[in-house]
Amino acid sequence: MRLIIRDDSDGASDYVANYIINRINTFHPSAENPFVLGLPTGSSPLGVYKVLVQKYKAGLVSFENVITFNMDEYVGIPRDHAESYHTFMWKHFFSHVNIHPSNVHILNGNAPNLEAECVAYEDAIKKAGGIDLFLAGIGEDGHIAFNEPGSSLASRTRVKTLAYDTILANSRFFDHDISKVPRMALTVGVQTVLEAREVVVIILGQRKSLALQKCIEEGVNHMWTLSSLQLHPHPMIVVDEDATAELKVKTVKYFKSIEKVAQEAGFEQILPSKVRTGNGPIPQTTVDEVSSPTIHAPQPTTSRLLRATPATEYPIRSVSPDLVPDRMASRIPEPHLTDRLTPNPEQQAVQNAITA
Amino acid sequence: MPIALSPPFRPRNGLTKFTNCRLVRGNKLVQEDLWVSSLSGKIVNSQAAFFDDLVLPDQTIDLGGRIVSPGMIDVQLNGAFGFNFSTLLDDMSQYGKKVKEVQKLLVQTGVTSYNPTITSQRPELYQKALPFLGPSGHLQEAEDGAESLGAHCEGPFLSPTKNGVHNVDVLIEAQTFEDLEACYGKHNLTPRAEGEQIPIKYITAAPERGQMMKLIPELKKKGIIYSVGHSESTYEEASEAVGLGATMITHLFNAMRPLHHRNPGIFGVLGIAESLPRPYFGIIADGIHLHPTTIKIAFNAHPDGFILVTDAMHLVGLPDGAYPWTNGDTTCNIVKVGSKLLLENSDTIAGSSITLLECVNNFLQWTGTGIPHALQAVTATPAAMLGLQGVKGSLDAGADADLVIFSEAQTPGQPSTLVLDEVWKFGTRVHRATPPKSE
Repeated sequence: MRLIIRDDSDGASDYVANYIINRINTFHPSAENPFVLGLPTGSSPLGVYKVLVQKYKAGLVSFENVITFNMDEYVGIPRDHAESYHTFMWKHFFSHVNIHPSNVHILNGNAPNLEAECVAYEDAIKKAGGIDLFLAGIGEDGHIAFNEPGSSLASRTRVKTLAYDTILANSRFFDHDISKVPRMALTVGVQTVLEAREVVVIILGQRKSLALQKCIEEGVNHMWTLSSLQLHPHPMIVVDEDATAELKVKTVKYFKSIEKVAQEAGFEQILPSKVRTGNGPIPQTTVDEVSSPTIHAPQPTTSRLLRATPATEYPIRSVSPDLVPDRMASRIPEPHLTDRLTPNPEQQAVQNAITA
Repeated sequence: MPIALSPPFRPRNGLTKFTNCRLVRGNKLVQEDLWVSSLSGKIVNSQAAFFDDLVLPDQTIDLGGRIVSPGMIDVQLNGAFGFNFSTLLDDMSQYGKKVKEVQKLLVQTGVTSYNPTITSQRPELYQKALPFLGPSGHLQEAEDGAESLGAHCEGPFLSPTKNGVHNVDVLIEAQTFEDLEACYGKHNLTPRAEGEQIPIKYITAAPERGQMMKLIPELKKKGIIYSVGHSESTYEEASEAVGLGATMITHLFNAMRPLHHRNPGIFGVLGIAESLPRPYFGIIADGIHLHPTTIKIAFNAHPDGFILVTDAMHLVGLPDGAYPWTNGDTTCNIVKVGSKLLLENSDTIAGSSITLLECVNNFLQWTGTGIPHALQAVTATPAAMLGLQGVKGSLDAGADADLVIFSEAQTPGQPSTLVLDEVWKFGTRVHRATPPKSE
């Protein structure tokens, strides 16, 4: 984990934008080997988009061979609604750069079959070769995309019901009328984000400081879904000073010192060259099977039986053998009296009597 | 996988994107991109084009911070570049040709649509000339230049005492709608086929003459806009006309009773209660017809109804000098000095020869209301007056892509003025003030 701390939000946005541009440029994307970028919406990344557009206009970066995947979209509001994430992306980014519309992917919240839309989205990500860099922001409750507290850390793209907190918070974009706020959204899952080769998160402002603290100073917890980033091989969080309010001084100092040392040594985020130059396989941690003669993995018999749907298979029970009536005596083997090694008192008595 | 082909291989879609520009939206200048299509001739909803049609513009034009305005609309133009619309030609087929020539030149002044105006004439002229002056934009041919939005008949049902330079001898009264038909020609007042537009868009008449007041609702029913002008109307009469459906005042203050504190006259209707509809009004900002302060007062009385018009004569665009003018049966000379037109040997103002952009710049200098307000007076407001909101005079998606690109000329201590750089009609560039350096 890298934590980059900048004095203010502009500094943090600047850092993230330049980092992305740097990554794209060293990647040398082409039509055959495009750079795949995951993109968020919201207030935090606004500054990043602004800098990206500026740099594009200055000719410092091209998005011609960049494929983008957006994190989420509301369900049930028109695509061109002023608050839709399509509109957000168009207004703040796509309309200003040379990205081709065929390379842009945003979940369709008006798809006839939302579940199929989500599956197709995951497929599209796979088809594009996986995401090279996922840019993200977080909510005050530490949610990444619309993965609200309590979301499975193994989740994938799916339909998600919004938390009441989120609906309340977003009502400010819908005339402060809660009934106008969409109740559902499509969102990439935590696992979808974690599968990106690199994840960069921008967190700005004191309001998010508690979430930042929970996500980096405490354990992995589904109530703060961003904390799952601790399991990613190449995460980077970029924050402003305000967002560090809840962190321990020790934590801040530690991450600052890492950055200082890294700078002196001349590197930023250490990434394997495969990740830097693209199209390697999706990184997968291989865990060797632990073979132990004594501990057996428990069979999920109970949970299967307790499913709502009727069980179609039943656990295998030991079978009782058929009854074959017999005598107890027949089970005792015939003694080989002749082979007996111990002295036989009866025989001896008979022999003694003959000799006597 | 990506379909990011390099531009030459992409099929042409006729889309142009303007970027790094300021758009006139309402009474604001907003920094925004604008997409137009030369195929549909409309302003494009760029977001829908991107996400639905998966298209990128053929060309992107960086305007370097210049201003994009809807094309200007002149709702009162008597003629230009030597051709007077109130002319009978021996061979009337030549008339249509002349109108087309005027339109091609007119568009270069930034006027992309206009209402050709016929002053008070004998019925014969209306009947013969009007068919050539009807709405001409249905083909959406950019090369045709400025587009007629329908004719404006300024007369002949006017007050003889407020005739201006109109020939008193031709002024008549109307008692019934048949009288209007007898004058303008029945074929010019009734659509020939269902849904077809008639040549007349609006008429200027004095409501107090004959039974004109009673004819206003009938005109309205036919889709003809009624404008009060060249009239001796009192405040009460003018209010009644507005109540009956008059929605416009032709060149406010000129050829009508002046504002009197005990009878505010036609101007007074701009002050009527907010519950009643207030009419639009034309203002000639040439520095001759009206005092700048008068213009400022009128603007502040009803900013949303304020329309700048030129009322220009056919001499606009010609060099200074004396020009013969046939007005009905009489022929006299009009002397042109700059944009000033006077009847020879008199002080009577004979219309103007100012361009619409000069009016806008005058208005900017005199009132300092700011560029968006000044441009609204020649774009959105006249479009609304003509019932063409969202079609003309607008940069919203779906509107006709008639555009003017202005740069600002700054003079220290004064409001900046607008300089015309480019004119676009139906999504195609039709005029450039200065050819690009690179070509």
